[in-house]
Amino acid sequence: MATNQQRDSDGWLARLSSRFARFAEFVQDTDNDAVVAGAVGGLSLAGAFVGFLVTSPYTSVAVLGFLAAVAYSWVRHQELAARGVTLAMTVSTIVILALITFFIFYEAWPILQDRSGTVLGLTIPGLEMFTTTAWTPAEGTPRYSMLPMIQGTVLVTIIATAVAGPLGVAAALFISEIAPPTVREVVKPGVEVLAGIPSIVYGFLGFTVLSPWASDQFALVGQGTYLFVGIVVGLMALPTVVSVAEDAINSVPESMKSGSLALGTTDWQTMTTVTIPTAFSGISAAVLLGVGRAIGETMAATVMLRNTPTIAEPLYNVFYGFETLTSLIAANYGSSSGLQKDALFVAGCILFLSVLALSVGSQLIEQRMEQKVGGVE
Amino acid sequence: MAGATETSVVRENTSTYEAIAALTVGLAAVLFFLGLAATVEIVSITGSLAGLPTLTALGLLLVVMGVAVGGFGLLSYRGLFPTDPDVSVGIVAAALFSALWALLGFLVGAEALGLGLAGGVVGGLLIGAVAFATTAFPREDVGSTLPAAALAVFFGLVFLLGVVGTEWSWSPANFPDSQSVTFFARSVAPFAVMLSSLVVGWAAAKAYGGFGARGRHLGAYLLVYLNAVAIISILVALVAFVVFKGIGPVAEGVEVGLGVGPATTVSLFGFSYDVVWPVYWPFLMNGASLFTDITGVFPAIVGTAWLVIGAVVLAVPLGVGAAVFLTEYAERGRFTAIVEVATNALWSTPSIVFGLFGAAFLVPRFTPQPQKSLLAGMITLGFMLLPLVVITAREAMIAVPDEYRDASAALGVSKWQTIRSVVLPAAMPGVVTGVILGVGRIAGETAPLLLTMGGGSFVGAGQRAKVLDSFQLSLSPPFVTNPELTQATTALPYQLYQVVLTGTGETAGVTDITAFGWGTALVLLAVVLAFYAVGIATRQYFRSKLSYE
Repeated sequence: MATNQQRDSDGWLARLSSRFARFAEFVQDTDNDAVVAGAVGGLSLAGAFVGFLVTSPYTSVAVLGFLAAVAYSWVRHQELAARGVTLAMTVSTIVILALITFFIFYEAWPILQDRSGTVLGLTIPGLEMFTTTAWTPAEGTPRYSMLPMIQGTVLVTIIATAVAGPLGVAAALFISEIAPPTVREVVKPGVEVLAGIPSIVYGFLGFTVLSPWASDQFALVGQGTYLFVGIVVGLMALPTVVSVAEDAINSVPESMKSGSLALGTTDWQTMTTVTIPTAFSGISAAVLLGVGRAIGETMAATVMLRNTPTIAEPLYNVFYGFETLTSLIAANYGSSSGLQKDALFVAGCILFLSVLALSVGSQLIEQRMEQKVGGVE
Repeated sequence: MAGATETSVVRENTSTYEAIAALTVGLAAVLFFLGLAATVEIVSITGSLAGLPTLTALGLLLVVMGVAVGGFGLLSYRGLFPTDPDVSVGIVAAALFSALWALLGFLVGAEALGLGLAGGVVGGLLIGAVAFATTAFPREDVGSTLPAAALAVFFGLVFLLGVVGTEWSWSPANFPDSQSVTFFARSVAPFAVMLSSLVVGWAAAKAYGGFGARGRHLGAYLLVYLNAVAIISILVALVAFVVFKGIGPVAEGVEVGLGVGPATTVSLFGFSYDVVWPVYWPFLMNGASLFTDITGVFPAIVGTAWLVIGAVVLAVPLGVGAAVFLTEYAERGRFTAIVEVATNALWSTPSIVFGLFGAAFLVPRFTPQPQKSLLAGMITLGFMLLPLVVITAREAMIAVPDEYRDASAALGVSKWQTIRSVVLPAAMPGVVTGVILGVGRIAGETAPLLLTMGGGSFVGAGQRAKVLDSFQLSLSPPFVTNPELTQATTALPYQLYQVVLTGTGETAGVTDITAFGWGTALVLLAVVLAFYAVGIATRQYFRSKLSYE
């Protein structure tokens, strides 16, 4: 065990030193002015970042320094400058994700610490937010339970997936395998346009037309149901499912389908026995991404729900819609402060983590699919 | 040729059978649309249909269809029809049918017979098991028709015998009073009709194909085509409805003619002169004010325009640069894998989380006092646009054939020169399309704006964001300031949200809030769909051009 660790750290050190040696070699081979410009550029970019974090007025000085360094090296060493600048741009995507993660957890921390609970002698931050059921920020002893919102999000997501999953996969099959070219040229952009309709427009339609209609149809007390929010959100998640599933189905090699058809099967038999099983992992990745979209959908839910966090009873009562994690944030952010605001960040953390897990999961599945299909060819 | 002869032979033998089966499919379609019409109350459940009370007529149709489809199955089983059924209908159909029947059994057992939860579960399991046995074990022709026929006949008899009459209603007892639900015949009956017509239509389409491989093919294609048609009709209906509702308020008071429009002052090199627009379009050119007749969304349009410009200026260079590095410079390894995961994670991060991030990270950093601002909104939306630009730009660059790069390199051209003069121009169509579609998406984004930018529910035309006029230079850092950029403002989607918050009534010179909302929704939809139309058209144009090469 100890030797293993030793070897690992040896390898790690060796890699680092070889990397450092390569870097030193690179510095040696490069003109001095380019190295200086690169160092100035890198340092001032870092300076600008730090300056922005601490809201210093000198941020702009650092930005100017960076621009000057880039301009100089662009004139004198365009090759290197282009490489360096594009590298910085690439790193920025990772930095943004890291910043998002850091800031939403940083803002959520005070309430997580305040509402910690003890299980078997262990103090778990934020446990109290998941063991009580009341969201009453305005009362003497305010309670910030996430459970009503989690119930709402789960119900909406289940309904939305039930809508977007089967319909989306069927539409993807239709577009990539069944439709004649002229029909495809209509349906494919149509599905894309469906993705373009802003969620607030869906929400406005739901608020003015669907919700009153639903209340009338089912004699509900007041307006707002998880059922119709779920259906609308499912419609909004549909294009994501269609486009990813379509990619997966298209990536099944034509030779496999032709081989099956040559045996005299019908198109549908080929689809169910060859195309769908081969593309299965890609299709499930598509559904996972659709679930992610449904979890994160905000405006339709905010506008159509009641925005009074309550547990719907019985737990499967989808005819009453109170609050989801997303609508909680959107509806309450403007009027909240202190611990209540931090509680909204906790809701954001839950959303972020669950969607991140779904995204990474679907990527892993897609990678597997690529390897599988690649191996067949 | 062989196929052609065979088809004609089959057709000769089965023309009556096929005609009846096709008729049943058509009847199912009619019934489906009747159900749909009843849902939106075009056909009244309490009224009458073709001389009969609506429920009786629907029940009669359901029974007829059920008997027809069940008859197909049995006659085919006795060998009276030349069909080609498989051994079994398959596990998927069996599972779906038994789930459906188990649910029905549960509801009937627990509620209609009053046996409570235990009785419901027993009844559900029993009927589900029977349905599974009838579906999965017999030959395909019986397995796929009998459960469907039974469903239609069951609902038909329920309506015919008046078990569910026009006055029927049911509220589950275990729902608390404050969250009670009542199911009426007017909502349950159309749903039951649509459900059974789908199931029976599927079974009849299978029968039309003579079961077996061809029957399954037809049954499945019926459902898949129906799904595609439904999606497109929902899209058309949505857009048409918004246009129908919104065109009135938007088009109100439009005048065309010389000198009718508002004056715009253009100042250039110290000279300034007024340009009077030849069009007066109040909804697009007015703000909210007590002094204008028609309240418009001009400040919101300006806000959305600035948001889009800001987001594009931030995200496009960053995204394209990152895509260049990833495809051209970086070797595939751990670093590119991390970047890929990060971009995909950013792409699927919910917009409200971007909003929270903007509120925590950007809002406190531009002014001494934390304040929502146009700049914070721009950067937040830019961050949302970034992953989309990276992904599409990368795809476009990967699609550029390596021969292009090799040919350029063979001429002794350096790497960056190759990228600049070969790769980027070739990838440009893909990048442009991706950016336009991405912009369409963020232009309609609302949630982040609530947290980072939005201010003022109904904004006057004078309070629009005058970004260009407000740049101020100074000698001490930060050298350039622009108070308009660091102030809260409005945008089209935000304006629509404010309409919902306000509800109904009269505020700030808006006489009919709901009509104003529909107008705003129409303008927003038009802006977003215009981006989509341009994006899709660009792609189509370049694709047709490229396919000639």
